[in-house]
Amino acid sequence: MPFISQIDRQSDYNLVSPTTPIVIDNGASYFRIGWAGETDPRVIFRNIVQRPRHKVTGETVTIVGDHNPALMKYFDCTRSGPRSAFDSNVVYQFEIMEYILDFGFDRMGANESEIDHPVLITECVCNPVQSRSKMAELLFETYGVPSIAFGVDAAFSYIYNQQHGVCNRDGLALCPGFTTTHVIPFVDGEPIYKGCCRTNIGGFHVTDYLKQLLSLKYPYHLARFTWEKVEDLKMEHCYIAQDYASEARLFQRGVKEAEEKTRCWQLPWVPPPTEEPPSEEEIARKAAIKEKQGQRLREMAEAKRSSRINELENELHGLEFLLQQLEQVEESDIPSFLRDTGYVSKQEIDSARNKVTQSLRKAKGEPKSEQTETEKADPLASEKYSLINIPDEMLTPEQLIEKKKQMSLKSMSEGRQRLKQKRYEEEMQRERKQQLEEERRLENPELYLEQLHAKYKDLSERVDQRKRLKTNGNHSNGNNLSGGVGRGERLNAAQRERMRLLTTAAFDRGKGEDTFGAKDEDWQLYKLMSKDNDDDDEGPDEDEAELARISSRLRDLDPTFVPRLETGSSQPAEAPRIRPLTKEDFQIVFGVERFRCPEILFNPNWIGVDQVGLDEMTGVSIRRLPYKDESLEERLTKSILVTGGSSLFPGMIERLESGIRMIRPCGTPIKIVRALDPVMDAWRGASAYASASLFHTQTFSRMDYYEKGEDWLRSYQLQYTL
Amino acid sequence: MEPEVLEAELILPTYLSFKRVQTYEKYPKGQARGRHWKHLKQILQAENYQNYPPDEPNYVNIESPPSMHPCKRICDITGFEAPYYDPRTNLRYANADVFKTVRSLPNEYVQRYLALRNAAVVLK
Repeated sequence: MPFISQIDRQSDYNLVSPTTPIVIDNGASYFRIGWAGETDPRVIFRNIVQRPRHKVTGETVTIVGDHNPALMKYFDCTRSGPRSAFDSNVVYQFEIMEYILDFGFDRMGANESEIDHPVLITECVCNPVQSRSKMAELLFETYGVPSIAFGVDAAFSYIYNQQHGVCNRDGLALCPGFTTTHVIPFVDGEPIYKGCCRTNIGGFHVTDYLKQLLSLKYPYHLARFTWEKVEDLKMEHCYIAQDYASEARLFQRGVKEAEEKTRCWQLPWVPPPTEEPPSEEEIARKAAIKEKQGQRLREMAEAKRSSRINELENELHGLEFLLQQLEQVEESDIPSFLRDTGYVSKQEIDSARNKVTQSLRKAKGEPKSEQTETEKADPLASEKYSLINIPDEMLTPEQLIEKKKQMSLKSMSEGRQRLKQKRYEEEMQRERKQQLEEERRLENPELYLEQLHAKYKDLSERVDQRKRLKTNGNHSNGNNLSGGVGRGERLNAAQRERMRLLTTAAFDRGKGEDTFGAKDEDWQLYKLMSKDNDDDDEGPDEDEAELARISSRLRDLDPTFVPRLETGSSQPAEAPRIRPLTKEDFQIVFGVERFRCPEILFNPNWIGVDQVGLDEMTGVSIRRLPYKDESLEERLTKSILVTGGSSLFPGMIERLESGIRMIRPCGTPIKIVRALDPVMDAWRGASAYASASLFHTQTFSRMDYYEKGEDWLRSYQLQYTL
Repeated sequence: MEPEVLEAELILPTYLSFKRVQTYEKYPKGQARGRHWKHLKQILQAENYQNYPPDEPNYVNIESPPSMHPCKRICDITGFEAPYYDPRTNLRYANADVFKTVRSLPNEYVQRYLALRNAAVVLK
């Protein structure tokens, strides 16, 4: 950072004679205070005040200037940001000004009952008298200053450079400052305020513009762009382009030169830990755990089954015992006997016994005796369906109903039979196929395995693709730039296509001539739009079944085979695919911004300030001069001094020269120089001025101030040539 | 107060010997004091510049006039020269690629880009 605060408390305050003036350069960005006659100010700090609350004690404290940010953690700054006493270079909040002066005098080492030194303090050009008188009042009443002089910083800088032979007695001072830019013409060493002009733009606006642009370009790094950081970036990287348009074109074409000019700020970035594929041991361990769990489950199921079998057998025994008992009981006693058991009749007990036997068989895993049933059914078929072959006329109405029943029964059983046959055949076919495959495998195991793998890959890809299309996982459509998850994002491809057709049909009609219907194909549109057009899900099922078969087979044959992770249906909702953040996402790239931001000094209307830029201001200033004198104008343009913080941008002088050449008559001699130290020269000039023997003639005392009144103060003007 | 804060003399002392009137006397604590300062606009209004001869320089009349040059139009987003203008968002843009971004920008961003050149829609 080029500007560093200098806030050590001075110890030699009491050694300085009371006649030595204190010189203050009260700039909108920095406050500089020191002794007249010295080359450098003693104390420098940013002209801001913060009034945060102390976190522990809760009291509001006053902190002036910039401090070590690490110490600010003890304070709650959320409710009060840094405040400045300035608005467009005019001091208007004197409470803040007072804190700043307090701090300045305190750090100068003042410890007497008042400030017993004349004060020279800078102000802006044509400072409103209200601000000037308030400042005088503050200095007189609060600090007891014996006498005051007000001067203009740019003028002091010009005089200082003139004394060092940088510029002439006649000339122009261009002063792009922090919040404003001034041009002041000098004739015979005195500023001519009639010819001066001010544009309300300065370094503050450049920084603010850069900050805004960066935070719009990188919204996710917003917190990085603090005022101080952006200020640093501006000072380090910004420059003024010779010709904005051609420079921008370089970047637009993306030529090598532009690439070289692009700066990049890498934010701290830690690559995310890469996930390593699980090791052999890990896999083995996991498999063992799985196996163990499976074993336990199987055991549990076995235990459950045996207990159920036990239970059922007990029940069966109970029922059989009951039946035996029932046989011994007399016919008439049956109801009374049964009342205790909860059954109503013998048939019920029988059926219950049957049920239990069946479930017992099922529990024991014996096959259902279907075969026997059908065999049993076969001989019975003729008598079961006895009525079918008898014509309707020979039957009674009851028999007709019975016949219908029999017919439906018969067709049902036949259907069942057919289904069974079909299943059997399929089974046979599958077995044949398996056998064939087995043969092929035995013939050439490697080739077979390879083929199987290829098939598996192909199939799984196909299934994946289908799933993705259905859930719209693919991000191929071009309207996804915003990354939103609107309605269009959620629909599947077919639905989206339908939506698109509908919207085009709704909005594109009426544009130009309506030719819909001229061709027969046009009407196909409605078919496409209709809702039933959606894909049915038959296709993928086959694929999935085949995939499952192949993967199981592969698992049997190939010990190294690991089935692909199941995506889609197994997970309830497919997580949005997030691109992993890379190093590039944490880079702040300055390309055009490097010269776009300072360019607002020349084109203030880019940030909505409808005033002339720096180069045109010289023309305005010369035009405003009360006397028309070509030789004077030439003398002015021969000595143009650029001072002020914003003149430090590289390329400033060259750009100004070409800009001013354009607005001045052809052949005008033009010489533009930068001040020796654009930042410090104002204070140095003021220091030299205040140390002159005639300085006291330019000051006014408290008595003068109260006697002469405001009108006098309004016309008060320092004479710079002593 | 923490020792390092005291050591850095971060906090402005409330009592300073060189002052005739201390800040706490001037601005007593806990007393509703309203606003005791004027905005720059109010200050300028109170100056009554209209009562003074127009050729006398003052804070208001030394302001620069609007530029006489045709305004250079630049792309609001990239900073390139902008031959085009999007009537929907009012943003200027350099080429078709930028136009795509312009159209995909959420309104908040459009307004912020416009606010940069003081052209945003201000709802009152």
